Amino acid sequence: MSGNTVIGAIEIGTSKVVVLVGEIINGRHLHIIGLGQSTSMGVKKGEIVDLRAAADCTHAAILSAEKSAGAHIDGVYLATTGGHLEGFSNSGVVTVEDASNWVRKSDLQRAATNAKSKALPPGRVYIHHIKSGYLLDGRHIQHPLEMQGARLEANYWHVHGDERKVADHLHVINGFGLEVEDMVVASIASGCMVATEEEKQAGVLVVDIGCGTTDYVLYRQNRIIRTGVIPVGGDHFTNDLSLGLRVSYKHAESLKVRYGKAIVDRVERQDSVMLVGDLMIGDRPIPRSAIQKILHARSDELFVILKNKLGSLLSPQNLPGGVILTGGGSRLEAMDDLAETVLGVPVRQGRNPEWVNHEQLREPEFSGVLGLLYYGLSAQRQDERAPENARSGGWISKVTGIFK
Amino acid sequence: MSAPDTYESATSGLRIKIVGIGGAGNNAADRLKLDDLASVHLVNLNTDKKTLSASPVSDKIMIGRGVTRGLSAGGEADVGRQAAEADREIILQTLRGVDLVFLLVGLGGGTGSGAAPIVAQCARDEGAVVITFATLPFSREGVRRMKQAEDALHLLRESCDAVITLPNDVLVQEIPDDATLLDAFSLADNWIKRGVLALWSMLFRDGLINVDFATLRQAFSARGGKTLFGLGFGEGPDYVASALRSLEMCPLLHLPENRYIRKADSLIVNILGGPDLTMARVNEIMDFVTDRFGSKDNTVLGAVIDGSMSSRVEITVIGTTMVESTNRRYHSVPAASNPEPNRRSAPAARSEASSTLHGRVESNPVSAAPEQPATHDTFTPSGPLSPHAIKQNEFDFPRIEDSRGHFDKTDPNLFEGVDLDVPTYLRRGIKIALH
Repeated sequence: MSGNTVIGAIEIGTSKVVVLVGEIINGRHLHIIGLGQSTSMGVKKGEIVDLRAAADCTHAAILSAEKSAGAHIDGVYLATTGGHLEGFSNSGVVTVEDASNWVRKSDLQRAATNAKSKALPPGRVYIHHIKSGYLLDGRHIQHPLEMQGARLEANYWHVHGDERKVADHLHVINGFGLEVEDMVVASIASGCMVATEEEKQAGVLVVDIGCGTTDYVLYRQNRIIRTGVIPVGGDHFTNDLSLGLRVSYKHAESLKVRYGKAIVDRVERQDSVMLVGDLMIGDRPIPRSAIQKILHARSDELFVILKNKLGSLLSPQNLPGGVILTGGGSRLEAMDDLAETVLGVPVRQGRNPEWVNHEQLREPEFSGVLGLLYYGLSAQRQDERAPENARSGGWISKVTGIFK
Repeated sequence: MSAPDTYESATSGLRIKIVGIGGAGNNAADRLKLDDLASVHLVNLNTDKKTLSASPVSDKIMIGRGVTRGLSAGGEADVGRQAAEADREIILQTLRGVDLVFLLVGLGGGTGSGAAPIVAQCARDEGAVVITFATLPFSREGVRRMKQAEDALHLLRESCDAVITLPNDVLVQEIPDDATLLDAFSLADNWIKRGVLALWSMLFRDGLINVDFATLRQAFSARGGKTLFGLGFGEGPDYVASALRSLEMCPLLHLPENRYIRKADSLIVNILGGPDLTMARVNEIMDFVTDRFGSKDNTVLGAVIDGSMSSRVEITVIGTTMVESTNRRYHSVPAASNPEPNRRSAPAARSEASSTLHGRVESNPVSAAPEQPATHDTFTPSGPLSPHAIKQNEFDFPRIEDSRGHFDKTDPNLFEGVDLDVPTYLRRGIKIALH
């Protein structure tokens, strides 16, 4: 692969569709040259519920991104999420063939094939096979090639999703006449943006609280150990407020952004805020404590679910890197304090890396789409290095080994 | 408004029965007993002898003597259903010739969840208009009770003309912090009382504008849909405005599943006011209510005057919606007060369905349908939306009540048996003070 390639990172989110256009120069440098956004329609909890509406707003966002970039997108990297995504861990075991027990490349390949051979129930499709390390005679080894041992075990974390829902996502992009190079689970995309190499090595959990879903990814020894989706996001916060305070959805959203807080503040207990704030008829005072109580209940529950899902993986010993919060939902005031209380692990707010010059793109809700571009860059690089692997069988067969 | 002659014939000799089913239903009926409404008969129905004998209501029916031996259903809806099935004759007898039946029931337990759908069916078979007030359990009471309540609600919606749901999770928001446990569990009683009183006074008390039974029946003719129910109370110098504000804030109008209903297919509005209630004020209320819930064409208005209500007003709104078009498998029932035509005009799809049902019922005799298998070859559903007609469908379409507000058209968000789309504060029973 030579010359310049223009790739697009597309995230069809529940609140908005973001398209980021990047130019890869000589397969080495990445320039972000265009951004397009549109308000998302027909997407709920990260899943497409109205294909036509979702397609229309995605196409609008792609057009505006291409216009701002002044270039046409060659290939698309697409983020996916939703409650239908599930994962399991399965390992492939082989006996090392070589007479003197040297691990050869063929052993690694056989182990990988073994691990990936597990059949899924009908209607499910694999999205990622993520290599989470090797065991050689029971020892954790990063690179077992040319080492000595008898029994080689390749650990994989497999992510799979509902075939129709995955297909819906692809149709939206294909309907525009663009090719989807690869589909990436949203948690992985944002994870690789906000966590540093050191943190990934030590062990870190990245939690991306979006509008429709909360995606998480857990790294250890520079590998992805676990990914997951909790279909609860900012929409739930707003919906709870709207029902609890008996105000319209629009007003609830505005109250959440202006006065929302994830913990109940003792000092502000007696305070109240105006619903609209323009002294119009129908405006009424709303106690701050009511807003905080509703948001606290929801966010507390979210972290409790997360804790239950991860079990013993979530402990200060296993996570020296702590927890990183990102996504639009993480902007809720005191969200990190609450997370720290519930999870019992140090929590920090995620920040997009320094090389992102654009002010707007530094906001936490863009980590996903930035991660996608980064992924695209790495994928193009890998294509260059190993041309025999390139586009061998479409996106499904691709392995996200590049994420380590 | 209908012609005066209909009014005469409909109101005179109108028979109304209020049936409390199960423990919670009995309690609600007991409470109504204290008001001693004219021309209303109260009946209590239970499997538990002890609860029945403690009730001040004179008309009591003990069901399922052979099934439970006078003990309660023990929280098993199946037992409640068997008990009601066993004494179907007695229930039919009690409801014979009654025009309007109010069922009061607390869903989630055994007798309430099991027997209420059958009592509703009986009442409908006797040709009565059936309006059910159903309390839903607290989420904290557990997944099983919630499930049992939802299943029963589903069955109730099919045979009742209106089902008014009163989720305890929502009602608990309305009580003060120092309320006792007893208060919490009898929360719904007050709402039921206000609802029954409103309908009753609309029919029987003198007022500016009276509503006759035929009109009421007409308004409730669409079965299987949702029912909106809201109350507003206002007093003081500007009592109308305060009542409208209180109506707008009524927790029952802010349930996840019905707050997005902006248009009811038919609407009943009752205004209970003092002698100082003017037509202009009534118009003001009507303008607001019709604007909020539907158009003027299908609204029934009642206005009642009570001497003790000066400079106070209470507004009751009951609206019904048709089965939404998103539920493809239900043929929406044509609006007609008489259920008879529906049976004959059953769509052709029925005959197709009956053949599927045929095989299904024979291979797997469902205990819920003890008397249905006999009618195989001439399958005539006993009502427009028979539960058996639904069972035959192989596809898992959403249920009628599965409109989920903002998260409509998405899969239920189940985690360890609870639906995460339902606000956490409701499930956890956290009280949100709005003042």
